[in-house]
Amino acid sequence: MRAKNLSDLLKAGDRVAVSNITGREATGVSVASQQFCGNIVGGWALGKGGQKIEVPGKDPIPVFSTVEELMKSLDEDKRPNKMIVYSPPMAVYGDVKEIVQHGKGTVETIFVITEHVSIEVTAKIAEMCTQANIDVVGCNSLGIINAHDKVRVGAVGGDSPAESFAKGSSTIISNSGNMVNTMASYLISAGLGTAYGVSTGKDTLILSSLKDILKLANEDEASKLIVLYIEPGGLYEKEAIEILKTMNSPKPMITYITGDVLQSSNLSLGHAGAVVEGEGTSASAKMRMFDEYFGIQPFDPEKKYRKSSELVTQLKRGIRIRTLHHLPAAAKLVCDRLGIVRDFRPTKPLSLNPWFVDYKGAGKQLLSKLVLDPGPIPVPYKSQAKMIEKVSLGANYSRRNMRNSSYASSNDGKHTRLFGRMVENEMRTGSFVSSVFLSWTGWSCPDYQVNLLEKCLIASLSNGPGTISAQGVKLSTSAGNAPNTAMIASLACIGDVHGGNGRKAVEYLLGIFKDAPIDDPFGENPGLDLQKFADNEVELFAQRRMAAKDAGIDYKRIPCLGHPVFKNDPVNYDPRERVISEYLEQKGIGNIFLEFYHMMAHKLKERGIARNVWAVNLDGAIASVVLGICWKALREKRITVRRACDVAFMIFALGRVAGAGGEFLDHQDMGSPMDMRIPVSECVSLTRPVD
Amino acid sequence: MAAQITELTFLENLARRFNIPAPEYLTAESSGNAIRSALKRWQGKAVIKPDVLSGKRGKAGALRVVTDYVDAQKELKRVQGLDVNGHLPRTSYMVQFIPSEMEVYSAITYDSRYLGPSITISLNGGMDVEDISEDRKATIPLDIFKGLDAYQASEMLEKLGCPRGVVSILSRSLVDLWDMFISTGMRMCEVNPWRITPGGKPYACDFKAIFDDSNFKFKNIGFELPEYPANSTLFEEEMAAWNASSHQGQAHVSDLGGKGILPILFGGGASTIIIETLLQNGGDPIFLSDFGGNPPYERMYGTAKMCLDHHLAKAKLLLILGGKANNTFIDVTFKAIADSLQNYVDEHGPVNIPVVIGRGGPRLLQGLLTMKDTLDSIGMPYVIFGPDTPVTQVAEYAARLADNWQEVKVKK
Repeated sequence: MRAKNLSDLLKAGDRVAVSNITGREATGVSVASQQFCGNIVGGWALGKGGQKIEVPGKDPIPVFSTVEELMKSLDEDKRPNKMIVYSPPMAVYGDVKEIVQHGKGTVETIFVITEHVSIEVTAKIAEMCTQANIDVVGCNSLGIINAHDKVRVGAVGGDSPAESFAKGSSTIISNSGNMVNTMASYLISAGLGTAYGVSTGKDTLILSSLKDILKLANEDEASKLIVLYIEPGGLYEKEAIEILKTMNSPKPMITYITGDVLQSSNLSLGHAGAVVEGEGTSASAKMRMFDEYFGIQPFDPEKKYRKSSELVTQLKRGIRIRTLHHLPAAAKLVCDRLGIVRDFRPTKPLSLNPWFVDYKGAGKQLLSKLVLDPGPIPVPYKSQAKMIEKVSLGANYSRRNMRNSSYASSNDGKHTRLFGRMVENEMRTGSFVSSVFLSWTGWSCPDYQVNLLEKCLIASLSNGPGTISAQGVKLSTSAGNAPNTAMIASLACIGDVHGGNGRKAVEYLLGIFKDAPIDDPFGENPGLDLQKFADNEVELFAQRRMAAKDAGIDYKRIPCLGHPVFKNDPVNYDPRERVISEYLEQKGIGNIFLEFYHMMAHKLKERGIARNVWAVNLDGAIASVVLGICWKALREKRITVRRACDVAFMIFALGRVAGAGGEFLDHQDMGSPMDMRIPVSECVSLTRPVD
Repeated sequence: MAAQITELTFLENLARRFNIPAPEYLTAESSGNAIRSALKRWQGKAVIKPDVLSGKRGKAGALRVVTDYVDAQKELKRVQGLDVNGHLPRTSYMVQFIPSEMEVYSAITYDSRYLGPSITISLNGGMDVEDISEDRKATIPLDIFKGLDAYQASEMLEKLGCPRGVVSILSRSLVDLWDMFISTGMRMCEVNPWRITPGGKPYACDFKAIFDDSNFKFKNIGFELPEYPANSTLFEEEMAAWNASSHQGQAHVSDLGGKGILPILFGGGASTIIIETLLQNGGDPIFLSDFGGNPPYERMYGTAKMCLDHHLAKAKLLLILGGKANNTFIDVTFKAIADSLQNYVDEHGPVNIPVVIGRGGPRLLQGLLTMKDTLDSIGMPYVIFGPDTPVTQVAEYAARLADNWQEVKVKK
């Protein structure tokens, strides 16, 4: 190997370039690496030259078309000495060849992360890079981390490497990338941090094999204890033990070898390289070799290891563990008996610590020792859990690439479906309103809810030609636009102040009722004292209003209360809201949100805040209807809060854009071109001419 | 498992293509006349063999020398249905008997010691390579770019004491063997034995090879691989096809024949450890799985659906477990599993088994809470662990819980 020490594989100051950097995985890992240690100087991807990978809070990573372009474009002090290959399997050979061609003399190490690289290509890479004096780690490696220098290459440690890799004195060498991370986090409970974590890869040919990495680890001052994770396949361990036997005083090791039970079942293992090829390559042979080398039986947590010179001699070579969770106890034994100072205070010993438990009533029938209580969620997860759980209403969807995907619609070449339901069937049995709501939420409403929504839509059609949204469509028509453009102009004139109050009202109502015992907003809710909610809310509003007035600042109004026209009677109503209320009465059902609004309006009058009883406007009625319909789905976390709020807004927008169609046709047929223009003589200039 | 071929496929598709001398052969489907005339041509002596994915056919009594038509017919039928070391043949065939005074062993493979290909030769062919003493066999590394040349092969044969008259012709055949190995994307091929006739002519008289599934040459090999009976379950076949359909994420399974725990496992290393722990603790896992590699939503959804459709009905416990992921997004993978589980319950009705989950990695909490919400909604009991509990301890717990769950009814 070219490297003489582990730090030659990776240290602070090394400059890293990434192949196929615009690929899904390479981009994600590169951004996380850049945020962690900022050692990436660039990347390349054919046809993507000139792009930049944005890194929040850091300079973007430049993308070049080829390695050659990358090497030529970067200043000498920024040219990479470490390369990561994330290319698809078929492109790996070509990429490595180019690295060798253009990076000879500069590039020291290539980390091949790609899986499923053929053995033939791996062998060719080995030959080519040996000739060029370049070390290769992989293929199918996850990379390496140097915890002392706080730098990494590849994805070791995921998006928060600091969580598992506290700087310390153990070096982990593993066939499995996942196990580097997992073992490092287990060692923390023994008070041991990490010097280096090396994922060697687990293909048939491991190009930086155990003997090579072990030699480097034995040269490394920071590494006091070496932890190995080993799978069946290859003669790497046999070679490594032969080398160890020739060393003066190699560092102690803890080895975990897996694959024995499965091997005896003659089953294939997860990793391609874990194929038993002959003597010395099986898991049992590797266990035997290490046990013989260590001269001690595998670690037994029940056993009392008495101090003796023989034990010290044995542990100086190391000990094997039979199961993974014995690692911290075995590490503790080795450190204590050999006088290796631990890096920090041990944390809580590893144990069964469930974070969330619900036996759904079956706990009493289970053996008591199997019934676990939820334990503490450790940092940093605790605060994250609280933050996510705080949202007691509404779904918390995971995000994914939606470029070619949709829950809302599908087309299998025979049928178009809305949330899985055939459009033809909706045409036969549904209505326009029920189908619209289906496509917005994923479920069909009962008839009375469809009727309520229809009334909301009708009410939203128009509020006369003077409303801003009607003016929008008229202006656009007057300019000679087509119907779609004119209708868009109407939609463009809907905003938070005009039409958007329904969304605000849903947000407002959710803020008040999110933890309330409401099973069905249209039904009886015996546990709910609605008047108390109204009284409390008015009281809070009164305090807020008074404090704001004292301070001479504006205060947040209650959305959807009051109306510019219907405001002069002792008790005021928006006639469109009345139609909805009447329908509810006629059906013998209620809507607690609408009732709450009316209770508040009366309470505001009683409290002397309003001089008469304000009207609950149409937006308030729409919000109450939509929230009523969405409530169950929100409680069951089937839709997001945001979707419920948006649906309230979209009901108004849909009604209004249909009404805008009427204004368009009307204005187009009857109006004159440019008739919405305001004559210059009527325009008022508020600035004095300066030239 | 990697694709494998045996002698019959070699005879049918490769021997002639690569000029490797091999005996004449006939398949079991050949007509009576063809068999009669072949026996006549072969001086009345042939060997009947089953085409089966197992070595040691001779020791299993599956190879028969026949000298007449009636025996040949009978044996072709008999060995077709013979169980050979737990494997069933797909057919039987008859090869020309090659008289010989000498048998040679040869194998080409990739060698971890040389990080490249190597060839092993012994003049003690006909026996298993592990039974040949070290001083009677020789292995040399090969240059991956240049391959094996006739000079190297001759030198090896001469050092082993091969008769002069054989060295030259056998060397050329070994070079052809290399040519086939490298041209078809093999990871290992073995001719054992080469039978050398009294006239000094070698014949490849038994053959096996394992392909490298990742090698593009194998994907364009030019013939269809034969299907052997009962080598894989429908579940394994479907999952293998699903895995091959994309390079995003992994979907590896091996049926274990268990009836206890349905394991959806992540990470090649962790999954092996978990299955071993389950087996050691009586967990009776249904299959071995490895679904890591940061699969996108649709891949993970498809994988989970396949696992649930095939095995959830008979499982005693659903185990979703992996180590602390480096680059697999937990929220994406768990959302996909949760959706798949939800759809399964929508379609098949409630499932009365517990779910044990353990995971660590990017966007963990969102993933765990998504699973929790779904399990609450479909009424399945659960115990969910974070990365602070070792996977081996979670697996031990799951095995014990599955064992104890059988009499438990979930409260409606």
